[in-house]
Amino acid sequence: MFGWMGTILRVNLTDGTIKKEPLNKNDACLYLGGRGLGTKIMMDEVDPQVDPLSPENKLIFMTGPLTGTAAACPGRYEVISKAPLTGSIGASNSGGHFGPELKYAGYDGIIFEGKAEKPVYLSINNDEVSLKSAVSLWGKTVFETTDELLKATSEDARVTCIGPAGEKLVKFATVMNDKHRAAGRSGLGAVMGSKNLKAVVVRGTKSIQVANPEEFIKACWDARRKLKAHPVTGTGLGAYGTEILVNILNQSGALPTRNWQESSFEHADETSGETLAAKYLVRNKGCFGCSIGCGRVTRIPDGPFKGFGEGPEYEAGWSLGADCGVRDLAAICKANFICNELGFDPITMGSTIACAMEMYEKGILAKEELGRDLNFGDAEGIVEFTRLTGLREGFGDKMAEGSFRLASMYGHPELSMTVKKQEMPAYDGRGVQGMGLEYATSNRGGCHVRGYLTSPEILGIPQKLDPLVTTDKAMWLKIFQDLTAVVDSANICLFSTFAIGLPEISSMLRTALGWDCTDEEILKIGERIWNLEKLFNLKAGFTKADDRLPDRLLKEQVKKGPAKGKVVELDVMLTEYYALRGWDTEGIPTDEKLKELSL
Amino acid sequence: MSCYESHQSQKSTKEVSLALSKYGVQEKGMSKILMVSPEKCIGCRSCELICSFVKTNEFNPKNAAVTVLAYDEAAIAVPMMCMQCENPSCMKVCPVGAIEFKTTGAVVINEDKCIGCKMCLSACPLGNIVFDAGNRKMVKCDLCGGVPKCAYICPSGTIEYKEATSTNLNKKKLIAEKFKEVFGEVQ
Amino acid sequence: MPVVKLPAACIFVHLSVGVMFMKVMFFAYIRDYTGTKETYYQHCQTLKELLEKLSDQYGEKFRAKIFQGENLGPEIIILVNGRHVEHLAGLATKLNEYDEISIFPVVAGG
Repeated sequence: MFGWMGTILRVNLTDGTIKKEPLNKNDACLYLGGRGLGTKIMMDEVDPQVDPLSPENKLIFMTGPLTGTAAACPGRYEVISKAPLTGSIGASNSGGHFGPELKYAGYDGIIFEGKAEKPVYLSINNDEVSLKSAVSLWGKTVFETTDELLKATSEDARVTCIGPAGEKLVKFATVMNDKHRAAGRSGLGAVMGSKNLKAVVVRGTKSIQVANPEEFIKACWDARRKLKAHPVTGTGLGAYGTEILVNILNQSGALPTRNWQESSFEHADETSGETLAAKYLVRNKGCFGCSIGCGRVTRIPDGPFKGFGEGPEYEAGWSLGADCGVRDLAAICKANFICNELGFDPITMGSTIACAMEMYEKGILAKEELGRDLNFGDAEGIVEFTRLTGLREGFGDKMAEGSFRLASMYGHPELSMTVKKQEMPAYDGRGVQGMGLEYATSNRGGCHVRGYLTSPEILGIPQKLDPLVTTDKAMWLKIFQDLTAVVDSANICLFSTFAIGLPEISSMLRTALGWDCTDEEILKIGERIWNLEKLFNLKAGFTKADDRLPDRLLKEQVKKGPAKGKVVELDVMLTEYYALRGWDTEGIPTDEKLKELSL
Repeated sequence: MSCYESHQSQKSTKEVSLALSKYGVQEKGMSKILMVSPEKCIGCRSCELICSFVKTNEFNPKNAAVTVLAYDEAAIAVPMMCMQCENPSCMKVCPVGAIEFKTTGAVVINEDKCIGCKMCLSACPLGNIVFDAGNRKMVKCDLCGGVPKCAYICPSGTIEYKEATSTNLNKKKLIAEKFKEVFGEVQ
Repeated sequence: MPVVKLPAACIFVHLSVGVMFMKVMFFAYIRDYTGTKETYYQHCQTLKELLEKLSDQYGEKFRAKIFQGENLGPEIIILVNGRHVEHLAGLATKLNEYDEISIFPVVAGG
């Protein structure tokens, strides 16, 4: 087979059986791989009403046809399941080296079913696949687990695992690979924990073939040349990482601050990518085959937050920083290190702490219950509650449920800045209207990487859209969402799309797979995936009422700055969006649309 | 016949040299060597990917003639490849004389003569020869016939293909500039 | 001399004697060209006038990023009071006293 390896592993954790199944070629053509193919398998095999943490849910690791090739940023794989945080379809992807290694071992993906009686890990060495006891690894951090498994197998193996947070079913636990890379959102690490699956170790020495090597490598050179030449992917991201966004969002009045009560942070520059590069950056790092190198290897050399690790990325830096009113970058780095070590999502973590801070300042949460003060700006506070949450200790046990459930426990769900129970990331939809629509419509709840309209609205890529108006946002969002679904299913890095677009991605796919099809047909795959995810969510019980934003964004006007007086004008954009998608006024795909997409 | 002389590779060599010329990189140069600056390496292994592709038309880093060794704690990664020794152990040990010098300065395995005994693999003191079990052949850096793709694809400038003399000159300049700084302060 | 660089604390003194200043902020590698994060300028009528003066002060590398011929360069983002000048009047954007101007290279993340 070209692009794909042609084999999927099916691992039943309940009875310990392991099967090698041929890849369904028809589905692969319709859904590519990664996010698309994983969702298709979920749809076919799992009842969308299932409890995400029950043995009936499945956990799927899936690579795409471009994973592990010389394509632009080909290091990614996707984790797909029904998500514990949201109850929606969950799909999170991650870079590093694990995804490509899985393909080199000969597999496009792994389907985990059931639940192991005792902790296990899956060991893959090319054709030899077996389940082994992970009893001695249970309770260990991501770094300890990775080191021990590498020692037990081979130094050049690759490890994906969960930390204590995943074991303790923290609702936003991550699946971590290569120590520092995370399939981060929606709590897929908790699904892994619920199955008593601690880790997957993989080592592979097989080759990936493409249909038309000459043309494929030409397409790859072309894409890589564009990445190198572009100021964002060639210079900015490598030098400053994603934290470079702090200042521009802040100056644009769209950096949510103190649990979204404000939209700019007076100490933003102290938490920026510029400051991180000047103070704590050791070096930048790339995922497999990456030419961008946005990863931050960082070290806090001394002081109370001494530590070493990777990150923070912009979203983590924002949630633990501006959203909590914290200006101490060392504390932000430390809390982020803890998230990686214990294995959970810093975006939801920071936002949940911010929510607790607002509840504390408003007298809803008492000091006795927290065990200490928790005002906005408390640097020690974010580090301590991050640790407690990862271990589900003290008040951290409640925070481990995420901000929606936490605020609801105290009768104030309106203080949770979530969509479909997942925390929104670092762009205030009131100042970036298209992002408001993106949060409301994203199939996995509050999320920026389903249709990243910040790119045209703030950064002017690929063209400049006014962030304060609603005109054309629905149209752009649909294209971005569909294209992102293609990117996540071909499994290249979304960041490559700052420099390349549908034509380059399509030509890599065509030459890798030996397809003769138009760019539009490839974008259609993205639309098909988007609609399939929507169908899963509808069957899981989601309605139009869930395509909604917190009242704070719909009713509380921005107090100052360029977006002063603005709220998200969601209704007008949502109506337009449903119509463009070919959905009815309730947001349900019409029969004609489903037929058009062969669904 | 060594890899770069094959029809297919000649084609891709031509293509790459075309691309290289866009970057103002000269193609020819007998005195050029692969220079590695590990302090720049981002650990992406693009060099492994492209090397395996040039050698086998498939993607498989395990079959590449370059290997990136990453040290997580030390936050450093080092690409290792054949140094094209002036006095190569692999050449000395080869029982059939299949290892030859090329005009590019590369030490190359002549596949027509190679019997696959793997003695060279054992003899290399740097461990820079690989056996590709899938295709049953030895893999060793041949500088891609004078246009090493690893240097071209490397996004961080870690692997460069340049004149040995100018490289040394740059290092000399760096030292000289330090002297200048010192004396500048004195004055 | 058109350029007056002031520590933040001094501005009040100058403001109080009736001289008007605009705050100009630089980000990412633009800071490498300017050697500073921010500066204060006497009031300029238009963005173009301000950028010309800045380019005179910070040199050719800075100018090359800011301008492409008569237009704004493709690799630059300029905000006036948080609004991208593309959504105002571009280089012809009128500036008011006490305006805040932010100059970024094209950046992205996520």
